[in-house]
Amino acid sequence: MRLTDEEQRILGGVFGEPQRISLNVLVKLGQAYGADSMVEIASAHVVGSSYQIAGEAGIAIYTQLLEQGARVKVRTTSDPGSIDFARWRELKTPPEYAERQIKIAELLDQMGVIPTWTCTPYTTFNVPRFGEDLGWSESSAVVFANSVLGARTNRLAAYVDLCAALVGRVPRFGLHLPECRRGEVLFELDPDLSANFDDHHFPALGYLVGQVTGDRIPVILGLRQATFDQLKAFGAAAAASGSVALYHMVGITPEARTLDEALGGRQPSERHVVGKREIARIMEQMSTGQGGAVDVVGVGCPHASIDQMRRYATLLRGKRVHTGVQLWICTNTVVEEMARRMGYVETIEQAGAMLMVGTCHNNCPLGAWGFRRLATDSGKFAYYTPTTVGTECLFTSTEACLEAAVTGRVERP
Amino acid sequence: MTSPRIILRGRGCSPGEFEGEVVVSNQPFGFWQGIDPQTGLVIDRRHDLCGTSLRNKAFVFPFGRGSTGTPGIFLEAVRNGCAPGAIVNVKSEPMIVACALLAEAFFKVSIPVVDDLDVRPQDVLRTGDRVRISGTTGVVEVVSRD
Repeated sequence: MRLTDEEQRILGGVFGEPQRISLNVLVKLGQAYGADSMVEIASAHVVGSSYQIAGEAGIAIYTQLLEQGARVKVRTTSDPGSIDFARWRELKTPPEYAERQIKIAELLDQMGVIPTWTCTPYTTFNVPRFGEDLGWSESSAVVFANSVLGARTNRLAAYVDLCAALVGRVPRFGLHLPECRRGEVLFELDPDLSANFDDHHFPALGYLVGQVTGDRIPVILGLRQATFDQLKAFGAAAAASGSVALYHMVGITPEARTLDEALGGRQPSERHVVGKREIARIMEQMSTGQGGAVDVVGVGCPHASIDQMRRYATLLRGKRVHTGVQLWICTNTVVEEMARRMGYVETIEQAGAMLMVGTCHNNCPLGAWGFRRLATDSGKFAYYTPTTVGTECLFTSTEACLEAAVTGRVERP
Repeated sequence: MTSPRIILRGRGCSPGEFEGEVVVSNQPFGFWQGIDPQTGLVIDRRHDLCGTSLRNKAFVFPFGRGSTGTPGIFLEAVRNGCAPGAIVNVKSEPMIVACALLAEAFFKVSIPVVDDLDVRPQDVLRTGDRVRISGTTGVVEVVSRD
């Protein structure tokens, strides 16, 4: 690997231990994957901000790095924490657990990490530009930055993201190289499906694509349009059920103005046709168990945008969440504040729904809290629920989720 | 009983030397939600190794999968002395290699990682084999087999 003079000096310890240790990890990782050099990054996003992920090992690492004078070198934002910093008492989070999350927040603050506590940093303070190299983790944010914004980042691991932030570099391999961004697996939508493609089909299609694609690059042909939130939902599902870090949607995403451009002038290695039957089958799989009484409904995974908050408020206006049901809406503080100014928060709270801000239901032991059946409109949440959370899960549309919260019952879509 | 010596050659992804027992699985593995970092036991109920301890074992599986939070759980296991002692894959994804490199960087624990062997390691290695593994040279040697 070719290293610059500055990089050699970092490895020699001239700029302190945190930079030396970090670059050493990144160079070794690059060597294992054939990187020819390091590349400077515009920003980082770190996932070890959550106590659920970082644990005591993370606290030990951050404490050590800080004692050695660690300070991030590029704009760096934090993924959701394991508690809602404002509402953790209300949400009955055990104080000793909250205290450890607050400790992580203090340590990251001292390193200069911007406390965004969101999985959608690209909507607020950390907005990548086309072609920029990044050092990001959080699979749903990585796939959005690569696919929708055309920035370049591998799916960094927890702590590797922080190493990247501390030296402002990542090893140049994988998705940093234009030749590694070509689509490989083609999904063609049946005209019948694309003419009747609903909002909740985006996460369902993402889930299917992830399952088939694994860690390769899918190309989706046949979608006419997609909103920001639909692309977000699609990518999050594909990144959870597979390890998709980049997708191309022909005519929609910036590196796929044509099918030929998406495939980089090559033939796809596989072709799949997706019709109504395939979508119905994947939606079957995304729900475990049968419908019936629901006790928790989770929306806002990835974190809800202001558009989604407006939609929730519209759907909940004048209604009341059923007794014994919790409706959780996850978002970040910026969207919360805007939604408050717009009056959406008042409408949502009057209906009896609960905001979870700066955190997320993926981080909560719902099973341990005694919940049995969950409804969600998120493909990512549906993927993790049976194992992580331990409840039965029904995947359905946003409208049906909010309806379920009001009636207390959910049916398989 | 000892069989003829078995030596596999692959690619060393993370340095370190290991000698000990093998645990083999044919299924991909995700450490996030897959291992209890307090005990080293596999806790993923869908996995064929559920209930097996990976503590100080050479863990042989086809490839890793899962969340970018993987090193969180892995390093918690390292800190508790409950992590695998070595990893052998058909193909090691950067997430797995990162776990080993971070263990060395922050906890001074070497966990050799080897992949891309001349054969599928899960076809040749058996649970209970005693092996010697070098993460530097990428050599996996069966020392003894019952």
